[in-house]
Amino acid sequence: MNSNLSDPAFWSRFQFGFTLTYHYLFPQLTMGLAWFLVYWKWRALRTGDEKYNQAVRFWTKIFGLNFAVGVVTGIPMEFQFGTNWADFSRYAGGVIGQTLAMEGMFAFFLESAFVGALIWGEKRLGPRYHFLAAVAVALGSWVSGYFILVTNAFMQHPVGYRIEADGLLGIASLRAYLLNPWAWVQFAHNQMAALVTGSFVVTAVGAFYTLRRLHSSQSQLYLRAGTLVALMASVLVAFPTGDQQAKMVGNHQPVTLAAMEGRFVGGPRAGVAVIGQPNIAARRLDNPIEVPGALSFLAYGTFQSYVNGLDEYPEDTWPDNIELLYYSFHLMITLGTIFVALMAYASFQNWRGRLKSSTWLLWVLMLAFPLPYIANTLGWMTAELGRQPWLIYGLFHTRDGYSKVVSNGDTIFTLMGFTGLYFVLGLLFLFLFGREIGHGPDEEGVVGRGDEGGVSSRREEQFV
Amino acid sequence: MIATWYVIVSFMLIVYVALDGRNFGAGMLHRLIARTPEERRQVIAAIGPLWSWHEVWLVGFGGTLVAVFPHLMASAFAGYYLALFLILWGLILRGISLEVGGHINDRLWQGFWDSVFVFSNFLLAILFGAAAGNLARGVPLDAHGNFSMAFFTDFRVRGHVGLLDWYTVSTAVFAAVMLAAHGATYLTLKTEGPVHDRSARWAKCLWAAVAPLFLAISIESWVVRPDLPGHAIYNPFCWLGLLVVIISTCTLISGLSARREMRAFVGSNFLLVGLLATGGAAIFPVMLYSTLAPENSLTAYAVASSRSALLLASVWWPVGFALATVYFVFISRRYAGKVSVKRDTQGFY
Repeated sequence: MNSNLSDPAFWSRFQFGFTLTYHYLFPQLTMGLAWFLVYWKWRALRTGDEKYNQAVRFWTKIFGLNFAVGVVTGIPMEFQFGTNWADFSRYAGGVIGQTLAMEGMFAFFLESAFVGALIWGEKRLGPRYHFLAAVAVALGSWVSGYFILVTNAFMQHPVGYRIEADGLLGIASLRAYLLNPWAWVQFAHNQMAALVTGSFVVTAVGAFYTLRRLHSSQSQLYLRAGTLVALMASVLVAFPTGDQQAKMVGNHQPVTLAAMEGRFVGGPRAGVAVIGQPNIAARRLDNPIEVPGALSFLAYGTFQSYVNGLDEYPEDTWPDNIELLYYSFHLMITLGTIFVALMAYASFQNWRGRLKSSTWLLWVLMLAFPLPYIANTLGWMTAELGRQPWLIYGLFHTRDGYSKVVSNGDTIFTLMGFTGLYFVLGLLFLFLFGREIGHGPDEEGVVGRGDEGGVSSRREEQFV
Repeated sequence: MIATWYVIVSFMLIVYVALDGRNFGAGMLHRLIARTPEERRQVIAAIGPLWSWHEVWLVGFGGTLVAVFPHLMASAFAGYYLALFLILWGLILRGISLEVGGHINDRLWQGFWDSVFVFSNFLLAILFGAAAGNLARGVPLDAHGNFSMAFFTDFRVRGHVGLLDWYTVSTAVFAAVMLAAHGATYLTLKTEGPVHDRSARWAKCLWAAVAPLFLAISIESWVVRPDLPGHAIYNPFCWLGLLVVIISTCTLISGLSARREMRAFVGSNFLLVGLLATGGAAIFPVMLYSTLAPENSLTAYAVASSRSALLLASVWWPVGFALATVYFVFISRRYAGKVSVKRDTQGFY
């Protein structure tokens, strides 16, 4: 990233990066948790066992809170295409506008029409419609993810476009644009990562209740479903999806792959650095510990394959913050490996029936829930830093895309506003999230909260 | 085709105003109409389950605007920079106060979020009103189709104007009063007991206030843009819009006086739709009028996407819209009738 602090492109990038990173903390849980709700609602319908409905009631409260923050922090994202990236919108609006609009028409309408019904509507809708509402919300959130990833995939690997007579982009083939191979791989990788987040959160809450010896039947449910889904998703996020993603980068953005690996000089039998600090001035990795041949194998299939180094590309095509890109990628890989190991062991212990008595493992599972959020963020940083210096890879530079009429003063002003507002929002979310966890699922009544007595009066006692 | 897309995009924005306008209105009157915590929960329950469904029409509008009028999006959003961010922050505060207020059953907590709710709805109603005024009055567009606008300059309506001047301030006030009336009509339909009675009284008073304000705004608009009426009388859509306004006014008045709440609310919705549609038709084909030089104005034809992009959008947009209509019918049927705090809140509010 250009470190010149008077550069307007820097501030627009910083604001977009900050608001997007923050926003995406919420949709990843929405997309992951949605399928847990669908599954439990379906089990409740099939078995009539009330514990599944209790689980749905408990998690919809957290889901609703999370969804609301996701909605309100998401709207600024769409508007920033116009406010801060006007020249980019002018240039590529004919292409990316299609998917942005489709996301609204096909995904957001579906999602938001039914989310209220899912959260507030159990009594109004009855069990069957309530189940359908859960399915609609889950589908809507994943479809919206696909459309936004098609948009991003176009920026990473533009396909299906043509340059119109006025020099701006238009769509040559909607089919090619929507079925961009990059989008499929990225979607699979990203959705698995969202499931990792969702399942880690479910597992952590189950572990917390088990450690506190509370809500035992509910916590068993969370631990069982959570660890199993977490194991499957952690494996899938690495292989085949992550592997395919890296191959995609290697084929279409070789300079990015070189930068991600801190590989300054090209050659065969390329290793993967486990540890090492990129030193751009000296063009080398300091203190490297490498697994020889691993990168050649991962990127191109044999240990002998030639992997390009940064020295083979002109310097102005290098990603502009190689250090951050390198660390993002390596930390993401490290975390992903830890996820697989942890969840494999936890699922094994659960299968042996020893999980609920293994105090240290429950502690680890409880404290592990922030890690997938970090890994998801690092993954996106890898994708977006790796795309630099291009806004649309090979077509359009980032420095050409920002709004020329917006002054630095305006951007810094709104950035400060977002920082303050999002800080308060974060505190509020954590506070209420913690409160709902502390309150826990209701196990006493079939109808649950909202009726006379029960929870509401108990809650009032705490405060009056 | 570009004219059709102009109609579609305006339609989405108008639907958004009619849907979310009721929430702004109910939100502004929240603390006046509902006096006890239970009454407040009643108002929130009338808005609660559907606010994100209403708000998403704004997102749908934004997305469609990028697809079919990318140059307008680029010019207008960058130009209205600060005002747009205020709207975004208002929407954040509105959504959050609605959502978190019910999580803790405590007087202090709920009182605070109720106040944030009222404040953010006021802010939104005023900003949207000022935005409508800006569309009518125009913005300081230069020859390249760019502008950058301060909040206020000298409060005059020509030359280097700001977001607020004497005209847009009055449209903002008009919007706030009219949306409050719309919200009160909605609450009359959805609630029972004292909240219902107070809403009914407020609805009558506020609609009575809308009439003289409307007259004032019409005269002001004529002063600000003397070229518009002469241009609009040749546009059949303006006449259609006016017809909708007249019929819906009659529906609204008869609904209010006969205590037919559904009829009044339908009238109130169509009155908003009719007014905005008339305005939208009157300014067509100019989408952004330049206060510096009329030849700098951006017309729909100049800001539209390429023909192939518009054709593509014409293929999938109707499908998306048909689906949205299905959801709309489902929701209207499921949420018909008065709200009941016990049934509609699941202990949330």
